[in-house]
Amino acid sequence: MRYVIIGNGVAGTTAALTLRAREPEAEITMISGESDYFFSRTALMYAYMDRMTLRDLEPHERKVFAKQRIDLVRDWVVDLDATERTLRLKSGKTIAYERLLLATGSLGTRLDWPGLQSAKEGVVHFVTLDDLAQCERVTPSTSEAVVVGGGLIGVELVECLAFHGKKVTYLVRSPWYWPGALAMEESEIITEHIRRHGVDLRGTEEVDEVLLGADGRVRGVRAKSGAEFGCQMLGIAIGVSPAVDWLRTVKTPPKIERGIRVSPSFETSLPAVWAAGDCAEFAQDGEWVVEQIWYSAKRQGELAARAMLGDRVRYEPPIFYNSAKFFEIEYTSTGSIGKPPEGSRTFFCRIPGKEASVRIVEQNGAVVGVNMLGARWDHTFFERWITERRSMDYVVNHLREAQFDVEFARVEIAAVEASYKQWRSPVSS
Amino acid sequence: MVREGKLSWLTHDLTHRGVTAWLLTVLLTGFYLVLYYTEVFTSVARAIGLDSKWTFYGLVYTSAIVVGGIFVLRKYRHNRYQVVRTSVVMFVQAVFAFSIPAILKFFHQPEYYFSYFWPLKFDDFVPGTIFHLPLVYILYSFLGSLLLVPVLGIFFGKRWYCSWVCGCGGLANTAGDPLRHLTSKSSAAWKFEKIAIHTVLTVCVALTALLFVTWGVGNRAPALARFTSGFQTFYAFLVVAMLSGVVGAGLYPIGGTRIWCRNFCPMAALLGLVQKFGRFRITVKDNMCISCGLCSKYCEMGIDVRSYAQANQSFTRASCVGCGLCAEVCPRGVLRLENVRRRHPQELALVQISPARGGSRVAI
Ligand SMILES: Cc1cc2nc3c(=O)[nH]c(=O)nc-3n(C[C@H](O)[C@H](O)[C@H](O)COP(=O)(O)OP(=O)(O)OC[C@H]3O[C@@H](n4cnc5c(N)ncnc54)[C@H](O)[C@@H]3O)c2cc1C
Ligand code: SF4
Repeated sequence: MRYVIIGNGVAGTTAALTLRAREPEAEITMISGESDYFFSRTALMYAYMDRMTLRDLEPHERKVFAKQRIDLVRDWVVDLDATERTLRLKSGKTIAYERLLLATGSLGTRLDWPGLQSAKEGVVHFVTLDDLAQCERVTPSTSEAVVVGGGLIGVELVECLAFHGKKVTYLVRSPWYWPGALAMEESEIITEHIRRHGVDLRGTEEVDEVLLGADGRVRGVRAKSGAEFGCQMLGIAIGVSPAVDWLRTVKTPPKIERGIRVSPSFETSLPAVWAAGDCAEFAQDGEWVVEQIWYSAKRQGELAARAMLGDRVRYEPPIFYNSAKFFEIEYTSTGSIGKPPEGSRTFFCRIPGKEASVRIVEQNGAVVGVNMLGARWDHTFFERWITERRSMDYVVNHLREAQFDVEFARVEIAAVEASYKQWRSPVSS
Repeated sequence: MVREGKLSWLTHDLTHRGVTAWLLTVLLTGFYLVLYYTEVFTSVARAIGLDSKWTFYGLVYTSAIVVGGIFVLRKYRHNRYQVVRTSVVMFVQAVFAFSIPAILKFFHQPEYYFSYFWPLKFDDFVPGTIFHLPLVYILYSFLGSLLLVPVLGIFFGKRWYCSWVCGCGGLANTAGDPLRHLTSKSSAAWKFEKIAIHTVLTVCVALTALLFVTWGVGNRAPALARFTSGFQTFYAFLVVAMLSGVVGAGLYPIGGTRIWCRNFCPMAALLGLVQKFGRFRITVKDNMCISCGLCSKYCEMGIDVRSYAQANQSFTRASCVGCGLCAEVCPRGVLRLENVRRRHPQELALVQISPARGGSRVAI
């Protein structure tokens, strides 16, 4: 069997290794235009901040690929012919496949703000190695930077720029930072923390126009509020979109909406073509979704490979969980977060003396989500409790078991318990 | 990307095998050679009122640990494990490895180092030396080496010694902290480590046995006595002077801080074997690793921590000194040092994790 994978990200690489483990004789080729070897996109910021070299970002020793007989091709795929089962590369070469996996990941979302198109220098994204190179190129000639976009990539870029001593203005559209996942209380803790690092974080600011100097370099942005922010570097981190545009114009395009539409077993609309990772869009509870996180891409890569091998696979995303770090504050969340569901009750407690908090959401007597800030927790406990439909009482009483802080540094759960008791039956005075 | 400015350039150069790092290495190895084979530092010591070049060396070494330790305490002040551990290692060095021996010497008592045990401090186990000491020292030496070291190793792993007590580890984890990431993470380096460290341990045990036999036989076999003494001199030159001093500390700026501990220290080898059967392990949180690689990068023992973390595999590696820096740098809180009561037998198997679990450690 001749397997070809487009994309050497975590989805593609996990798929390749899964295929190899099961089929010692198969031919496996992995093509990517971005890099020779699989690297960890999630660690881009550490390369930017001189904590790692690009080579350090590679999760496997290079010789693993030779040993596993996975042929690596560094090129961009420009055409796909599903009737002939061939791919055409930018270099002009053609590659034939019997089974194909599309694992093309995503790219930084671009918006069409006035002025942006004509910017010659100073506009950056933070998703690919090219983006990183671009950032590094303009960093020395920058003293003020503006970053737009209140998500995780935005705050990572902000941290990098602050590290490099830039005066950073951070513009987010919503009234508070990251309302998609954080309630106001947590957001306040984080906002305060980010500001303490010298970053000027502004809520309710939306870009209206990108201002350019005579040489075409960014010199600032004007917000819808009318305020102008001067900068020599504009970081756009308003989200990522599946890297599928090139697929819309190939000879036989698969069905694409936001991402490549796939069945629960990762089949696209084309025969013998599967898709997985950031680029795939699948149905969940009657809605079409793309999951653009590392854990999903890894899981999908493995499952898609199994589907390609002929296993019966039905992808059902597990209970959602994610983690992040905002400068020094660590964050773990599990289950339904963001807007509390209809008819739910929420317990929130700020842990005294720390930039830490606990949030537990309960609906119909069962905990449906937790949001934890500033301490370490083992999310697998939360997953289990949510699956077992445990009550809030139960979760608070067992919270200790889920603690994952370093030795000698456990957060005082007693304070949480006391605050919970008070919240449950407030003593009237 | 390196930060702008001359100071940033210098720090980067010094910590990334630049010109200044090489210069420092030449300086450090030179220092050790001069210390061992000349009397230059004897006169320096006398000039500042110390009795010998070894006391002078002890003072320099202890100062490096204390000053470096203060920086480390500041750097990791948010992490209680690091604060406690660093304070202990500084305390042990200043008190047990420097002050107490100096005081003993001042009062014309035998100069005894309570923080060192066989097989690291060879002399404390050599019948010819130890049996001349008062009984308490003999007891401390034998019980310490044969009982205390392995028993604590079973309960807490080798970390109780290698990153909480030992002076070699102490220097690595204080003054050496900015250089910790230089240790090679390649599988080839791991292979070399396993061969080298167990060879030294074997040689060390053989020499100890030989010393006891020679002592038991007494004057009856002068040829044996000559051979043993030659063997001992050879060991002192190669292992103690060259590998632990010149190579171990001299090459910090090039090879990282634990060259000696990782590849050559017989004590680490022994404790490593104990650790494999003890309670210590690094617990990996299931499916939370983002493969960023910070843990591997900052492992001073060259363990590719990421390869376990991304395969969701809790593990106990013989070489792990339990410094806890992987858990400190991990941005997703994936790792935790633990002393667990019961372990999964699978953790003891060296490698071979199925790629189907998302990892892809391949047989090495
Ligand atoms: C800065 C940053 C931080 C992040 N941090 C986190 C985090 O903390 N936690 C988390 O869960 N997720 C995080 N993510 C998201 C996570 O990195 C992605 O979900 C994950 O990398 C997706 O993997 P993938 O294999 O689907 O795609 P990718 O890693 O994007 O790989 C796709 C590859 O396909 C190649 N490709 C695309 N089109 C072609 C073509 N036509 N021809 C040849 N090659 C092609 C690309 O060059 C690319 O190398 C972060 C993302 C970014 C950008
Ligand atoms: S530092 Fe943490 S997230 Fe990064 S590779 Fe290591 S275990 Fe994984």
